[in-house]
Amino acid sequence: MAGHGDSGSDKKSSEATDLPIFNAENLQSNMKVIYYCRTFMSIIGGVTAGILGFTGLTGFIFYLIIMGATSVGLIAKAGFSVPSYFDSWNQIVLDGFLGGLMSFVLFWTFAYDIVHIF
Amino acid sequence: MVTKIEEAELSRLESQVDNGGGGAWDFLCLVRKLKVRRSDKVLKHGLSILNDPKKRSALGPDEWTLYEQVAIAAMDCQSTEVAKDCIKILQKRFPDSKRVGRLEGLFLEAKGSLSEAETAYTSFLEESPFDQVVQKRKIAIAKAGGKIIKAIELINKYLETFMADHDAWRELAEIYVSLQMYKQAAFCYEELILSQPMNPLYHLTYADVLYTIGGLENLQMAKKYYASTIKLTGGKNQRALFGVCLCTSAIAQLSKGRNKEDKDGTDLQSLAATALEKDYKQRAPDKLQLLTCALKSLRVSS
Amino acid sequence: MAEDLVLDTAIRDWVLIPLSVVMVLIGILRYFVSKLMRSSQVPDAKIVKEGQLIVRARNLRASANFIPAKSFRARRFYYSNEENGLLFVPKGQAQNAQAQMFSDPNMAMDMMKKNLSMIIPQTLTFAWVNFFFSGFVAAKIPFPLTQRFRSMLQNGIDLSTVDVSYVSSRSWYFLNLFGLRGLFSLILGEENATDDTQRMMQMSGFGFDPTRSLGAEKDGLDIIQHDWALPKFEQHAESVLQKLVH
Repeated sequence: MAGHGDSGSDKKSSEATDLPIFNAENLQSNMKVIYYCRTFMSIIGGVTAGILGFTGLTGFIFYLIIMGATSVGLIAKAGFSVPSYFDSWNQIVLDGFLGGLMSFVLFWTFAYDIVHIF
Repeated sequence: MVTKIEEAELSRLESQVDNGGGGAWDFLCLVRKLKVRRSDKVLKHGLSILNDPKKRSALGPDEWTLYEQVAIAAMDCQSTEVAKDCIKILQKRFPDSKRVGRLEGLFLEAKGSLSEAETAYTSFLEESPFDQVVQKRKIAIAKAGGKIIKAIELINKYLETFMADHDAWRELAEIYVSLQMYKQAAFCYEELILSQPMNPLYHLTYADVLYTIGGLENLQMAKKYYASTIKLTGGKNQRALFGVCLCTSAIAQLSKGRNKEDKDGTDLQSLAATALEKDYKQRAPDKLQLLTCALKSLRVSS
Repeated sequence: MAEDLVLDTAIRDWVLIPLSVVMVLIGILRYFVSKLMRSSQVPDAKIVKEGQLIVRARNLRASANFIPAKSFRARRFYYSNEENGLLFVPKGQAQNAQAQMFSDPNMAMDMMKKNLSMIIPQTLTFAWVNFFFSGFVAAKIPFPLTQRFRSMLQNGIDLSTVDVSYVSSRSWYFLNLFGLRGLFSLILGEENATDDTQRMMQMSGFGFDPTRSLGAEKDGLDIIQHDWALPKFEQHAESVLQKLVH
């Protein structure tokens, strides 16, 4: 498990050529790393939001901020040269966004209830 | 594929274990995971764990995996006694296991009784016809027994089902090259390039095969593949550099009478020659003379 | 009343937390059980071969530009000619495969097993939740929702005056079911078998249909343009060497 959101993406495709050549396996492992980071961050974010007691729109904005931060972190980890590791920008910015939302809501509710409701 | 990080980890563990620093089990696990060949070390350290009842029982169910690993390593080191003991223990524990059956076949091979091993494998295949390992062992036996044609047949049969197995394609390609059947070998190397397009080794050998076949068209193709090898290795591969030089001069020879339209190749050749000279100057200055002679002869003939 | 509904701390200790913990544990248990069941299946010759064929054809499609045009054309013909190409499936046979799947009892058995291994634990947990925890207001989601979500979130309690953001225990179970997927993929690693929605998707597609993917692969091969990449490499090599020499 990645200790922090963007520390797990060490398995990258080693090709940094100007030709559009991708190693399918490496590409897939990159995608997997992104997925893990997002899930991890959404769970952590959910717990944080719950403990801080965000409600309503604030919580969703918090989620957006968390995801944005994860994206920036991932891009930074990729050395700001996204095209050499991924097919398109969409993948690094949007992938796993909706999948993470469900986890986020669950953990947000859970932490919020335990800390604030009872 | 062994990445650099894993390799560093492996060598670190290896030196640690060799100096008595412990971590033998971790080392063995890593060897197994990376499928590297360190049979002597595996035998030594594996046995030291197996001979110590306390350490052995601490492994739990992994104990049997270790027995298997040590048995294979022992066969590789020709210490048949150890292998025999390991297999016996495994047999007692798993009487009907196919995996142990495979080990027995291997043991027969290690003892040198190839025909017995082959019959064992054949009966094994009747039960489970899609065992890749056993099929490969049969091919290896055929090859070891000098029956190359039979080996080719078997590989072809294997590839009919498991056609995405690039190791088998590679083996077949090498056999074809050894038999000087270059057209077939070229096909195999194309298949390999398709499965791993970024591996410079396949480009290089494919170019070699094309160059050996000869003919203007093939030579031009060979040169292109040498060029791609240079690109993929960053110009660090001497064989590819020499290949470019050879191809260019051969092409020039063949197309001497005809119109010289593609002059673009000479650029690459001179660059390759300079790169070679520079490399030789750095690493083997005493052989520079030889190199310049060879290159000159190539250039004169063009 | 809706604004200040006080929930007993005992509900937290005896409903909310146990329910979530049990869900996680069941997910992990199911992962291991399905792993056990999967290892015992024997691959079928035809399926193995077709899978490998698809991998090989995909390789050809992905890196066609790395082999000369002649070799590429020969391969394409080998895969997709109309007489005996490997990827070519006669029209009648394609229909047959579907029918065969329905008539083959083995296949149906397999499907049943898969189905059961998914449904049984699901039903059991649901029944268990229903039996022990029915009728609790277990949690409150920290954001407001419209009335339409009432049936979704307050499944099992019939109170129209309670604010919609309160969640009944049964609905908390459903929330867990979907929300824990991410957690499972983190703790169970790559191939987690608990991915329910994906499984359902496969179910609706009625398993793996090799003939269809063979046809798709053939179409893909037919339409790609071969553009040999190697001439480009020559220039690249030149620039690489130039850098190296100077």
